[in-house]
Amino acid sequence: MKEKNDYKQAKRYGMVIDLDKCTGCGACMVGCYSENNVPFKADETNKLDSINWIRIFKITNDKPYPETETCYIPMPCMQCDGVGKHGHPPCVSVCPAVATDYDYDTGIISQIYTRCFGCRYCMAACPYHARKFNWWDPVWPADMEKYLNPKVSPRMRGVVEKCSFCFHRYQQARDKAYLEKREELAENEYQTACAEACPTGAITFGDLNNKNHAVYKLKNSPKAFRLLERLNTNPKVYYLTSKKWVRRAGDNYLTHEEPGKIKNNMKEHH
Amino acid sequence: MKIDRRSFLSYTTAAVLGGTAGSMLTPAPWKLIDDAAIWTQNWPWTPVPEDGEVTYKKSVCTLCPGGCGITVRLVNGRPIKIEGSKEYPVNKGSLCPMGISGLQYLYGPSRVTSPLKREGKRGEGKWKKVSWDEALAAVTKKLSELRATGRSQSVVCLTGSDRGTIPNLIDRFLTVYGSPNFIRSSTAQDAIEQAIYLTQGKQGTPIFDIENANFILSFGSGILDGWGSPGRLFNLYGGLKPTKTIIQIEPRLSDTAAMANQWVGINPGTETALALGLAHVIIKKSLYDKNFVENFAFGFDDWTDEDGKTHDGFSTMVKNFTPEKVAQITGIDKTEIVSLARNFARASKPIAINGRGQGDVPGSIDESLAVQSLNALVGNINKPGGISAIPDSNYAKWPEVTIDEVASKGRQQPRIDGAGSEQFPNTRFLLNRLPEILNKTKDESPVQALLVTAANPLYTLPDTASTKKAFDRIPFIVSFSPYMDETAAYADYILPNHSYLERLQEVPTDAGISRQVIGLAKPVVQPIYDTKHVGDSFILIAKALGGFISNAFPWNNYEGFLKETLKDQWRELNRKGMIEIENNTPEPLAYTFNTVSGKFEFYPTARNTAQPKNRSALPSYTPVPIEGDIQRFQLVLIPYDTIRLASNNIANSPFMTKTIDDTVLKKQTGMVEINPTTARGLGLKEGSTALLTTPKGKATVKIHLFEGIMPGLIAIPKGLGHTAYNKFLANKGTNFNDLIGPIEDPGSGLDMAWGIRAKLIRI
Amino acid sequence: MSSTDQNQTVSPKAEPEAAPDPIHHGPETNDSPPAKSSGWAVFLFFMIGFAGSLLSGWILFPELLYSKKSQPIDFNHALHLDEVSDGCESCHYFRDDGSFSGMPDLGSCIDCHEEAQSDDPEEIKFVDEYVTPGIEVPWLNHSKQPDCVFFSHSAHVMGADMSCESCHGDIGTSEHTRVYEENKLTGYSRDIWGHSISRLGKPEAGTPRPMKMNDCAKCHEEETGHKGACFQCHK
Repeated sequence: MKEKNDYKQAKRYGMVIDLDKCTGCGACMVGCYSENNVPFKADETNKLDSINWIRIFKITNDKPYPETETCYIPMPCMQCDGVGKHGHPPCVSVCPAVATDYDYDTGIISQIYTRCFGCRYCMAACPYHARKFNWWDPVWPADMEKYLNPKVSPRMRGVVEKCSFCFHRYQQARDKAYLEKREELAENEYQTACAEACPTGAITFGDLNNKNHAVYKLKNSPKAFRLLERLNTNPKVYYLTSKKWVRRAGDNYLTHEEPGKIKNNMKEHH
Repeated sequence: MKIDRRSFLSYTTAAVLGGTAGSMLTPAPWKLIDDAAIWTQNWPWTPVPEDGEVTYKKSVCTLCPGGCGITVRLVNGRPIKIEGSKEYPVNKGSLCPMGISGLQYLYGPSRVTSPLKREGKRGEGKWKKVSWDEALAAVTKKLSELRATGRSQSVVCLTGSDRGTIPNLIDRFLTVYGSPNFIRSSTAQDAIEQAIYLTQGKQGTPIFDIENANFILSFGSGILDGWGSPGRLFNLYGGLKPTKTIIQIEPRLSDTAAMANQWVGINPGTETALALGLAHVIIKKSLYDKNFVENFAFGFDDWTDEDGKTHDGFSTMVKNFTPEKVAQITGIDKTEIVSLARNFARASKPIAINGRGQGDVPGSIDESLAVQSLNALVGNINKPGGISAIPDSNYAKWPEVTIDEVASKGRQQPRIDGAGSEQFPNTRFLLNRLPEILNKTKDESPVQALLVTAANPLYTLPDTASTKKAFDRIPFIVSFSPYMDETAAYADYILPNHSYLERLQEVPTDAGISRQVIGLAKPVVQPIYDTKHVGDSFILIAKALGGFISNAFPWNNYEGFLKETLKDQWRELNRKGMIEIENNTPEPLAYTFNTVSGKFEFYPTARNTAQPKNRSALPSYTPVPIEGDIQRFQLVLIPYDTIRLASNNIANSPFMTKTIDDTVLKKQTGMVEINPTTARGLGLKEGSTALLTTPKGKATVKIHLFEGIMPGLIAIPKGLGHTAYNKFLANKGTNFNDLIGPIEDPGSGLDMAWGIRAKLIRI
Repeated sequence: MSSTDQNQTVSPKAEPEAAPDPIHHGPETNDSPPAKSSGWAVFLFFMIGFAGSLLSGWILFPELLYSKKSQPIDFNHALHLDEVSDGCESCHYFRDDGSFSGMPDLGSCIDCHEEAQSDDPEEIKFVDEYVTPGIEVPWLNHSKQPDCVFFSHSAHVMGADMSCESCHGDIGTSEHTRVYEENKLTGYSRDIWGHSISRLGKPEAGTPRPMKMNDCAKCHEEETGHKGACFQCHK
């Protein structure tokens, strides 16, 4: 596996999801399905074999009626930077086929379907269940093949797939930039389908390294946290919440531990 | 040289080895391995979508009445994605999951791809493809027969909406044909518009200016669960400043309740009592808008009629609804009630809204009147941040019709559903009454032909079994549905409409109180199947019927009709894709009302007070008598809505069904929510299978334990339990309408059932 | 390696064929007498197999692997290039969104070819069989990449200032279309692998460059210092 720490890390695309604004409507999921040619089958209730690049989980505070509260957590691929941000997310490290790699230009983890042979090590390695396996060949009934997006390759049986941060949209935005002899993309030129679909604007997407992008500021908000932060996977998906119990649910905290106040012992050294 | 067996083997081996060694020095094996790998990467059955030029077309979504602007992305003219249109003033880019998955309706397996004639028994699913000529001729023949035998009034047209030119074209057809029986599917809008009519004397579509309100008191309205125009409300919610407050009042922690600033758990069906209790506190603490109440309202104080009889005013009546009493009825803490009332009245722009869940069931007129009265108390009528009504289709003008004697006679017959009758003078449509009327009639069915468009009564009407029985009494059912829904599946003829992305149609919607938006749904693709615009079908039938009927439809097609009705607005509409019409909203406090008193009527004089006998016209609280014996059925079943499930005339797309959690549906079995304490008493656990029984029906369900539901209740999602459509939806879960029957509001005739008694037995 | 080379290398080694028997005919072997497998004979057969496979691998295999097709219309690039003002980009242009139009569609041709302008039978065929009935020409694309590939013309032509010829050769000055060779197993054009079956040496000047992933990676490494991440060229 190649290691390319020598060239500069230009961009780190990431996402900030405001859980205080997420109503759990599912528009992000449907927007993603239709953008990324995600297949569907007659029974999708077994979530272990249901392919979702972003899935909304519902959690509750488990207090009795009427003190109950619920919260929805949309989970795309966390696009982990890995320990110390060296570009070794859990999945990439274990792939024996180099079917998934870390793009140092964007920080996005690829998944190459034609390269993947379906061993599913990456699925076992991913602590976020972001990766899904194609147990069957996808079938689009009636004339539904006609709505497939040519910018995203349909998958075949026996391969793993996952959220790509709509990388094809980055490719298209770059195409336009090259044509116009530009080096940089504007913030709104590259947005993921889920961010665009979110009807309440709960999902913000952009370059975490770029001070002018909204995500840069949002990720530093006191309300911000990441899921399973203490695994040091360094996800590039941040969440915002004003609810303490939601934040607690974001990692395996012991009762005496206070989220946000614990020093992450391996935090972000480079 | 002789060759024996042994040397033969040696030589062959040598040759094979030589061959192998040699081939290693050729490209063949390496190239073949590479090619074989490539071969496995490109299976012929894995589709390769054709790439090409990307273009965008703007249109308006008509999958629900919300009327959101959409942008359709096309590759080489092939639509591949639907996104919200950022420039459209209604939804400003936001779209619900149904709208985003719209292409699944266009290309999906539920499309009716050509006109169909029933072959087997009704609902058996045996169809014969027929030509358009044959299908239209069959409908024309039937209608012409009924007219010739003086039974024109027995033709009923059922539509999903009465706004816009398509319903108007159908109503025009019925006018010249000679039937008063144009029926719109009922929603909460019916009750609210009636309450507005009764209090303000104004007939029209209710508008809630949530955009400009800052304190939203929602009596169970699922503003984030699909109530109103979802695109508009989601967008609004996303842009809310922290200064806005949403209070959600309902017995189950819905997604709206979860996002609200405060969730108030209430005993189901007692919302009216709470509204009146809040009014009590507001009046008692003198927190109401005195200028409005004193100068522009009638019936607030006690009053004496022409006969010298004294009537209680609103303020006197609500004295009965003390916080203590209301606390007892609603289960809400007394102090909570007082503080709610205070906060509502003290907010600078408060608004109270009602219509449970997605607002599919009208509810009682008392409830809508009580909520209107709350708005009036804070002077929140016809002004920004308030409520109003806009007249229907005031933008479209079409030529007057001349009708013949048959039509005139038929048109004067009473409506079959009883709407507008002496009993229900202020109600315009009463679809919910139709099944019972049909089932009760012993003689010839009063409905001889039913034409259904944009409605699916066999799924959406309560008490599916009796609705089906009633439909069996109708000799001729025609569906214009583009999709094989339950009603289409039960029809005699299907004359499939274009799907919404192939159809031209103007779409009137509201974007707040001050303006009406007329959008234009333009076809984004040519029709992909052998379908016809429903407007064209009606025009062709009218032409075939001849005479005055034909004369009333001089247009070649719907497009011609639309252009003429819109007159000079057409060009702008066609160019911009929408026009905005400023509503003639009176300036704040320049209140004008068309009521008898010329004021806002707390005491709605136009209200029918015959039922129950000699009741006061003032809103009052009497518990809705829900069906079932409390001894046999100790729990109460209520429905809930979620934006991921479509429960109206157009059902879920496969993508929407895919998003449903495994706590809502497990394989084919639907799950119901109950409180863990209730479950414990019944010996039920998470995932248990149970038999759910109500006086109307039974269903096998699985249990999902949810703390966020009031103990003693069972909540079932609406939108599941379809029998038609396709394998991605049919036979999954339970249709709530199989388990409940309608309960008629005595004053309006509208359905006011909010739940039904039920029991759960572990199996 | 050309086929004549192989013939030369094979023929001298075929000579020992006459002599093997006597040389290794030794009495030591205990096997049934009449004929014993001699080392020479074994070697001979080894060489026969060796030579045979070399021949078939280098000559027969490529012939069998590819089927030959001709383009639906014999298109004259040179003629068109003289007529247009903007070089290749006159017909193979970039769209405003930065995507590359690729093969022109009928819409681009119809301005000039609504009716045939010459007696050229190919042009008449084009007009009669495609333009008039409005059917797109099913051109065979020598450079077509599989669905998993995202190739950015914009990045290479606009970003890296590469000329069309640097990958596609001098097709722009050709007067006739060349034979399209399709890999029977993969369906890919032979151009992707490269015309040389061994992929050794550099392609002759003016011929298209091979376009397998390794070719991309090699050039990227030379030009940018690294091969690039998967997502740079995959979708």
